[in-house]
Amino acid sequence: MIRSRLGPLWFALGLGVSLAGQAVAQSPAGGFDHPKHAKLFPRCETCHVGAARADASIWPEVQSCESCHDGTIAKRVGWAPRTQPVESNLRFDHQVHRRKADAPTCASCHQPSTSGWMTTRRAIVGQCLSCHQLPSEHLAVADTACATCHLTLAAATTLTEARIKHFGIPPNHQNAGFMVKGAKGHGTLARGTGGAPVAASCATCHARDFCLSCHVNAPETPLIQALGSDHRSTAIKAELKAPVTHKGSDFGRRHGEKVGSKAEQCSTCHTRESCVACHAATPAPAVRSLPAFGPGRAVGAVVARKKPDTHTPDFGQQHAPLATAAERSCATCHVRPMCLQCHRPDPARAAGYHPAAFLSRHPSAAYARETSCADCHNPQQFCASCHAQAGMTANRPLGTGNYHDAKRFFLFGHGQAARQGLESCVSCHAERDCLTCHSSIGGRRFNPHGPGFDPNRLRRKNPQMCAACHGFSIPSR
Amino acid sequence: MTGSTRLLTVGLTMLVSGPLTAQGYRLRLDARYQAVSFRGVEMDSVPASQVVQRPGEGPTSPDGFAVDCGTSTPGYCFFFRPGARLRGQPLTTTADLTAWGFGVPGLSLRASGRIATDLDGQAVWPGTEPNVVLTEGYAEYATGAAAGRLGRQLVSGRLGYQGFDGARASYRAAAAGFEVAGYGGFGLARAIAIPVTSPALNPLDDFQPRNGQLLVGADVSWRQRWFDLRGEYRREVDPKVDYFVSERAAVSGDVYPLRKVRLAGGAEYDFANGWWGSAEASATYTERNWYGTVEARRYRPFFDLWTIWGAFSPVPFRSIRANAAVEPVKGVWIRGSGERYWFDDDGADTPLATAEDRGWRAQLSASAMVATKWTFEAGLRSEFGPGASARTLDAGVTWRPSDAVLLAARGGTLDRPLEFRYSDAKVNWVSVTGDVKLSDRFRLASDFGWFGETRRRPDAAAFDLNQIRVSTRLVVTLGSSADRLPRAVKPAAQSPSAGGTR
Repeated sequence: MIRSRLGPLWFALGLGVSLAGQAVAQSPAGGFDHPKHAKLFPRCETCHVGAARADASIWPEVQSCESCHDGTIAKRVGWAPRTQPVESNLRFDHQVHRRKADAPTCASCHQPSTSGWMTTRRAIVGQCLSCHQLPSEHLAVADTACATCHLTLAAATTLTEARIKHFGIPPNHQNAGFMVKGAKGHGTLARGTGGAPVAASCATCHARDFCLSCHVNAPETPLIQALGSDHRSTAIKAELKAPVTHKGSDFGRRHGEKVGSKAEQCSTCHTRESCVACHAATPAPAVRSLPAFGPGRAVGAVVARKKPDTHTPDFGQQHAPLATAAERSCATCHVRPMCLQCHRPDPARAAGYHPAAFLSRHPSAAYARETSCADCHNPQQFCASCHAQAGMTANRPLGTGNYHDAKRFFLFGHGQAARQGLESCVSCHAERDCLTCHSSIGGRRFNPHGPGFDPNRLRRKNPQMCAACHGFSIPSR
Repeated sequence: MTGSTRLLTVGLTMLVSGPLTAQGYRLRLDARYQAVSFRGVEMDSVPASQVVQRPGEGPTSPDGFAVDCGTSTPGYCFFFRPGARLRGQPLTTTADLTAWGFGVPGLSLRASGRIATDLDGQAVWPGTEPNVVLTEGYAEYATGAAAGRLGRQLVSGRLGYQGFDGARASYRAAAAGFEVAGYGGFGLARAIAIPVTSPALNPLDDFQPRNGQLLVGADVSWRQRWFDLRGEYRREVDPKVDYFVSERAAVSGDVYPLRKVRLAGGAEYDFANGWWGSAEASATYTERNWYGTVEARRYRPFFDLWTIWGAFSPVPFRSIRANAAVEPVKGVWIRGSGERYWFDDDGADTPLATAEDRGWRAQLSASAMVATKWTFEAGLRSEFGPGASARTLDAGVTWRPSDAVLLAARGGTLDRPLEFRYSDAKVNWVSVTGDVKLSDRFRLASDFGWFGETRRRPDAAAFDLNQIRVSTRLVVTLGSSADRLPRAVKPAAQSPSAGGTR
């Protein structure tokens, strides 16, 4: 029963595809007008001998057309049979169908059942599916059914990229879970059945190059490697979209946990390139476990560097505590030289962290610390050496003379200025300057200790400091 | 061979040999040269008998320089007169290397060193001593959660930035947002990676420790979506006598109660002196086109116990400050900030010489970006307080025709009165900057600045201190394949997936 129904179908389908393809390719304005010639030709094989005989062309001979179209009986036409192969991915053979016991007629495939003789068209897919007992839409047929009529894309060498680009999209490609891992995911659907390494339905429209568009791990994926290689498959464009799991607000902060345990999954879409877009410092081990972009491997997901929420506009002034506690987090995006641009004074640098002319302004910023100078500058190496060069050094024993000439009796009343700006004082003065007066051994025994001074604690921590002024007779309080 | 020389040798060997054997490396060379010219000063003296004393004025030299007639050198008075122009040509080259892929997953090497010299040989510009500094040079082994380092390292943060030669281990429980680290070794000087015994740290020929110190410390942090909390502890001990050099701890935290709100705060405690050091608390609100911060802070200087300065009872100051910025028109930002501060009672007031004990700072600036290539900026800043005040007006224009090219010109004027010296200054300056990114690996920058500084004094010492500074910088970044510094976004041509959708 099945055979009797399939035979005509196959025959008609093949013939129809061939004729239609030829007509579209060769004839302007819709090609040969079959209905107009309906009364002349009772049989298709009259013109399309190849549909019946393997040794003949499917196309009519020019001479047979010219028997009427000789310019006398009918006007001449400039038709010639095509010589190029037909653009098709069908595995159809008219002869095979014709040898079936119940061979289909040409009309079975190329003519709607309700139409008249020679109302031909391209093979009507629905009629193919009907004969092949595939009760579904063309693009929704079961996986293995595709191969019944179609070659794999890699084998369909006559198809152009333009044709491939306009392939229809199967309904299951629109399913929510198609792009991710799972029962409905394309990875699962792509598994072959019956011993096939990859699903025939995939291979019909796609080749390995298409998968390479997104799959970074293509070289390690047997399913992809089972597909033939064909650059034309990239005519179908794929867009890599971030999965839902990547859209959480804290994904950037927490993705490291997943990379550590599921690096293989990450490597589906990510190369090391996408990691080092942010991980500019020494890549973490997990990052290094991902493959690098190279021949046979896609670039994968493109990652754009983005500032985290913590980096508010004034973050530059406030980053120190965070940088201390989360150094490795900082090192994700920042390399040490970036820190040292500011945190290590360079004698040859131009204005950078400090604005131009800061050198002239710095007294007002330093007396009452606008920021903590000592965080970046060693006072002895940086401040004192420059002040010494500029003559701002007490290079002889202090007397009652007045370097601070704006205050006539500054020396006698310097205590307030000293306790308020001691860091500024010691950028010009050495300990010996102060010990001239503030020492119990050789000095004038002026007591420098003020609010908050805890002699017992300091003596316990480091009596050497006490000994600088008190020698071995450190008083106890 | 000293310890530091050995370390330097190891570090430089790493720099050279690292890339040869590692599968991945990143090497960054940054060379800068600056030529500076400025007036020097020269100490001079006159016999006290030649000093001129005019009514209502202080003593001066016969040619009008105010003199200091101290009792320490009877019979002579001292002053500074303008000296010859000094020239400095500091040249520094910094090499920074990261290398990995030695066959042991997780093992990497880091080395960073700097060679600095003054081509004029006089070291008149600060920072060229010592000539060679190994800032970092360590091996790191890191797994997903744990990491260990051995060698010269830097720790930086709330307690300052300090180097040491030793080991550091850290563990991070990423899922819990928890990280803890401990370190220890031979400490280096604060804010510079050289031993505290280095002569470079003693330009005034002052007291200096004879021994390096042992350093131990620990950091801990806990980070969740809504907060970051951190704690630090650091202790330095003189190993010869077991006395403390410093012992401090700090806590700090950031809280994000709402998406656009950030609360931050922190404080330091000095165990050696038994007092609280600097502390602050701030709140920041950020919108797309405006943001503002208010902050209360307290600043107290910190001194090591090998100096006597901590015993002189430096007092803290407290301040309230705020800053805000608004973008009324796209590309135009107006920023303002202000701070008011006052020192704690120092217990040393005397009518003989009073000093300001409070002050303020205020700043207003605006910038406008035109057609993404031009940026115009101008700002006004005013400061008043103990020691020094300043009033600054500056403006600049930047032209950035592409990501690879930048040209900028700036200029300004500054008035700087001092509280304790007759050395007010009037400074005018202009500068021109050029920066060209020649390729992914090469960057060239140059800068020229002229600073005209006139001292305002009632005596002959009101001479100019003009400066000219010219600098040139070349940065070279080298690396292996994918692991050199990447573009933020790959060019489409490299991506077979780039293009439309199906």
